Amino acid sequence: MSRLGRVLVMLVCAFGALTAGAWRYALAADEAAPQIKEYKPNISAREYEKRYNAVYGKYTEQMAEEGNPADFMLDDGKDLFSKVEGSAGKSCASCHGANGEKLKGAAAGFPKYDPATKGINTVALQINRCREDHMGAAPLKYESYDQLALDLYVKSLSNGVPIKVSIDGPARPFYEAGKAYYYKRHGQFNFSCALCHVKYSGHMMRANLLSNNRHHADHWPSYRLKWAGTGSLQRRFRGCNKNVRQKPLPFECETYRDLQLYLTYQANGLPIQVPGFKM
Amino acid sequence: MPAVGRIKIRVPHSIARGQVIPVEVLVTHPMETGLRKGKDGKVIPAYFINNVDIYYGSDRITHCDWTIAVSANPFMTFYVKAEKAAPIKIVYKDNKGGVYEQAVQINPS
Repeated sequence: MSRLGRVLVMLVCAFGALTAGAWRYALAADEAAPQIKEYKPNISAREYEKRYNAVYGKYTEQMAEEGNPADFMLDDGKDLFSKVEGSAGKSCASCHGANGEKLKGAAAGFPKYDPATKGINTVALQINRCREDHMGAAPLKYESYDQLALDLYVKSLSNGVPIKVSIDGPARPFYEAGKAYYYKRHGQFNFSCALCHVKYSGHMMRANLLSNNRHHADHWPSYRLKWAGTGSLQRRFRGCNKNVRQKPLPFECETYRDLQLYLTYQANGLPIQVPGFKM
Repeated sequence: MPAVGRIKIRVPHSIARGQVIPVEVLVTHPMETGLRKGKDGKVIPAYFINNVDIYYGSDRITHCDWTIAVSANPFMTFYVKAEKAAPIKIVYKDNKGGVYEQAVQINPS
């Protein structure tokens, strides 16, 4: 064999080895693709608690105890619960008991997978579906006063019950979708939710302390001083989206419901406390 | 509907005669300053409570002049010496002529 031939054989062998390696690498990357690399918080939970108390103290808790303006909405929600509407001549109370006795603790399991729609069901969505299917009434517009009041009242029946959201079985892909959204970078500023609320939680962003996502989903609908009004978690999502210069999505769209499932799962085990009171 | 001028008054459950009690009052009001612009670029007209009167029985015990600096849905606490069985009445007046009032009965034992 000539010298040239030897070089050629060597080259072919080297190329083969290289491509085989590259192929193996590509396969490994494919397998790893659906797995999202989770961030680890930069600071410990104890350090976070310390910083939170240093910045906010107990001011919001104290203000909530003194008088939460959302209490008026809660009273209205109670009236709406027993108000007869629609063609069937029924109110929420005619199925669920006069003061919602049968709904005690029900909101702790929401959002959950619903086989009828093959999607995630939130309390707000469930109320509207109940109105259409069983009461024959028009669905309430999301984020309208009546809708929030009813949502608030139904959730307040489970006050103190620990959140118990299941992500097993059919709910799993929706949880993963919510997580993917949480870790995806959005908007002109190119921020993901997880960047602020997992990795850098406890750090200051100008005058604000970036909060940890553990307590994000247990107190909605909440009264918020910034809004000077009561709103839902999805209104907060929209606010966050606008903050990173992203176009906000509509209320109760599939993405927001998945995201709500993801966030509520982070709050598993915490008691529901509505109406909340936030900065 | 989100009503303006709903009032919630809180006083202690059991009151001794001569005791100084805190009275906590919450009222719903937008308290619009008149300095903000809406989405259409036009100035939102001022709409705020500027006059608060507090009565204990037939006496006016205090009076507040409020301005645009007070927050939306204002909350206030004041202290009263409970000497007689009489209602405490709070009257809010805003700059558009709205009058909102509510009373709570004080029965010192």
